[in-house]
Amino acid sequence: MLKKTVIVRPELCVGCMQCMIRCAQAHSRSKILASAIREDILAKPRIHIGVGPEHKPFPNKCRHCEPAPCQEACMPWAIRSDIAEGLKIVDPARCIGCGMCAMACPYYVIRFYRDKDAPERPAVAVKCDGCHERVAAGGVPACVEACKTGALTFEDVNLYLKEGTNRLANAAYGVRA
Amino acid sequence: MPKKDLNDYSICSDARAMIKKAREDGVETVWDRLEEQLPQCGFCELGLSCRNCVMGPCRIDPFGHGPKRGVCGADADVIVARNFGRMVAAGAAAHSDHGRDLLETLHAVAEGETGDYGIRDEEKLRRIAAEVGLDVAGKDTKAVAKALADRFFEDFGFRRGSVSFLGRVPAKRREVWKKFGVTPRGIDRDIVEMMHRTHMGVDNDAVNLCLHAARLSLADGWGGSMIATELSDIIFGTPTPKTSKVNLGVLRADHVNILVHGHSPIVSEMILAAVRDPGLIAKAKAAGAAGINLAGLCCTGNELLMRQGIPMAGNHLMTELALVTGAVEVVVVDYQCIMPSLVTVAACYHSRIVSTSPKAKFTGATHIEFDVHNARQKAVEVVELAIERFTARDQSRVDIPATPVDMMTGFSNEAILAALGGTAGPLLDAVKAGKIRGAVGIVGCNNPKVKHDYQSANLIRECIKRDLLVLVTGCVTVSAGKQGLLVPQAADLAGPGLSAVCKALGIPPVLHMGSCVDNSRIIQLCGLLADALGVDIADLPVAAAAPEWYSEKAATIGLYAVASGIFTVLGLAPPILGSKTVTDLAVSGLDDVLGACFAVEGDPVKAAELIDARITAKRTALGLVP
Repeated sequence: MLKKTVIVRPELCVGCMQCMIRCAQAHSRSKILASAIREDILAKPRIHIGVGPEHKPFPNKCRHCEPAPCQEACMPWAIRSDIAEGLKIVDPARCIGCGMCAMACPYYVIRFYRDKDAPERPAVAVKCDGCHERVAAGGVPACVEACKTGALTFEDVNLYLKEGTNRLANAAYGVRA
Repeated sequence: MPKKDLNDYSICSDARAMIKKAREDGVETVWDRLEEQLPQCGFCELGLSCRNCVMGPCRIDPFGHGPKRGVCGADADVIVARNFGRMVAAGAAAHSDHGRDLLETLHAVAEGETGDYGIRDEEKLRRIAAEVGLDVAGKDTKAVAKALADRFFEDFGFRRGSVSFLGRVPAKRREVWKKFGVTPRGIDRDIVEMMHRTHMGVDNDAVNLCLHAARLSLADGWGGSMIATELSDIIFGTPTPKTSKVNLGVLRADHVNILVHGHSPIVSEMILAAVRDPGLIAKAKAAGAAGINLAGLCCTGNELLMRQGIPMAGNHLMTELALVTGAVEVVVVDYQCIMPSLVTVAACYHSRIVSTSPKAKFTGATHIEFDVHNARQKAVEVVELAIERFTARDQSRVDIPATPVDMMTGFSNEAILAALGGTAGPLLDAVKAGKIRGAVGIVGCNNPKVKHDYQSANLIRECIKRDLLVLVTGCVTVSAGKQGLLVPQAADLAGPGLSAVCKALGIPPVLHMGSCVDNSRIIQLCGLLADALGVDIADLPVAAAAPEWYSEKAATIGLYAVASGIFTVLGLAPPILGSKTVTDLAVSGLDDVLGACFAVEGDPVKAAELIDARITAKRTALGLVP
């Protein structure tokens, strides 16, 4: 697992779907919203908002598991670990759209669409790539940048868990942190 | 987030100095808040979100992954058109409600209900009354004013079936409007009808909605705004050419500084009268000041500048920064474009925001309510408050970062025609001869999304270089003035033809025509020129641009310019791009219907090239040298 990753706090999500639209934009050819929506093959979001009880929203995206069930199920080795460290990224040129990865994924975060990088295929697996290019350039994932409520943050996972441990410690002694 | 480089905010040194001081003083500005908002809502940016009912809110996924229709079934086209329609309606409502206030003032004058206001241009009162078909012979001033007020009250309603100034529209244009059903009927009627049409389940055809948006925008341009302009001239005087000064340097370190901000001349003219009151000047001197200094911001500043030569401190993005100088005692506001943040910025200094209108209150501001009966007295109260605040000023925090730049103002249509010897003939001759290849109205606001004044000032430079006479109003006035483009010497920056004409007449190549309601002067001038040539406005070698626009009012102005037949370049896209139907209509389809369309171009050189190409085509079609 990467040190810094997208942390999801579903209780802060208001269901605005900004993460979805900015994710699709970030994965378009032009990366400019106004022109991204006019491209021949439309980019698709790789984060999804599930609907829970009382319509409570639940942001859901790839966890980049290690070992990853999707990767183990992928016959043409289209889900690669060698594009960016710690990330499981679909190579559309290799994907045959068989759906095995989606069946193996316990989180339902893979979808199938036409992709600009494999335009000859009717559908390939589309999933989170960790916005590795943005992160390499010093940025944060597009979904995190879009989130106004703190439901999605880009954090050092162990620091996040350490803070959680401290909150728990306070709670154990009857103090609300 | 690291702040961007200071030079990226504005081309103006006074702005940059005050942004730096704001940071040092811990004052939050419009640019800080924009950064906090980024990235902004992608659905709203494209016009694809709808909050019109409680089955929603709904959004259309422009990437085709999620919903393609709102709960009611409206698709992207309908949602975008409804949203745009409401945007245009809001802009028309703002201008027209401003016009209504002038109308109420005229009515109060006619009824003898106010001693504070009067008729300063009786000739114009009689001329306009006669123009709209009223019998003025033998009637006294008040009777004419009463009759004109009654006529314009009807323009706001739906008794008459069309607005009074329809007679100013060239016949060919009126035919176009009739053919496509966009003749403006009544100001309030057409605005209200848009609110009706955009309710769930009424007008569900994007093109039909857009055509009504065009009609209601015309009810603003040739109705509400035009009434605001003409009545302001009648009540406060028709502008004539004069000189003034512009930028934050118009503030004076040793004076009590009062700024007027907002739109209507009703309050600002009374403040002007009060600051000239010898008793109040004596009070200011007793408080240790050298005198009382009045300057303008935004459009009410333009109103005072045009008629009285009162200097301008700044445009939209300068309003917070004016307070950051630490030298402003009071900002008196009426309505429109007054950032609510001003109250917070003022609280960081000794400054006070004074609200004056019952329809525009600001929590934390001092409310001194003006009406036609008490205006003079209330203006005295405002000036007294400013003198009191002067005694609380901390001179060590004062920084006035510029020396003022000279500018010329006051180019009403009456003044332009007078300068030409009474008719548009000489101007048309210059156009026919190709000395002046055409005219471009460059108007509108500032927007923190783009570098302050950069697009406006550079588009002006590019246009005059191409022998295109530029007409400015609103916040672009300040953008132009601060760059030294509103003085006769700026003719040196113009192409040879325009330069020669300007030098012969002693005028700048960029003419200041007023506030944002005064865009009605520009369309009226276009109507006059088209009539003189016996053509449609759409045939004229003219164009419009709103390079740094932000407001709903600017959207309305842009649309009434296009609907009047004037090609219009916007520096930023309106929130319509989520609908291909509406976008295509705006940037090309309207050309077939109305003889003009929009373009979106944020680069001033490319925008000038688009305008030049249009004007060249129009000149060629008229049989003139390109």
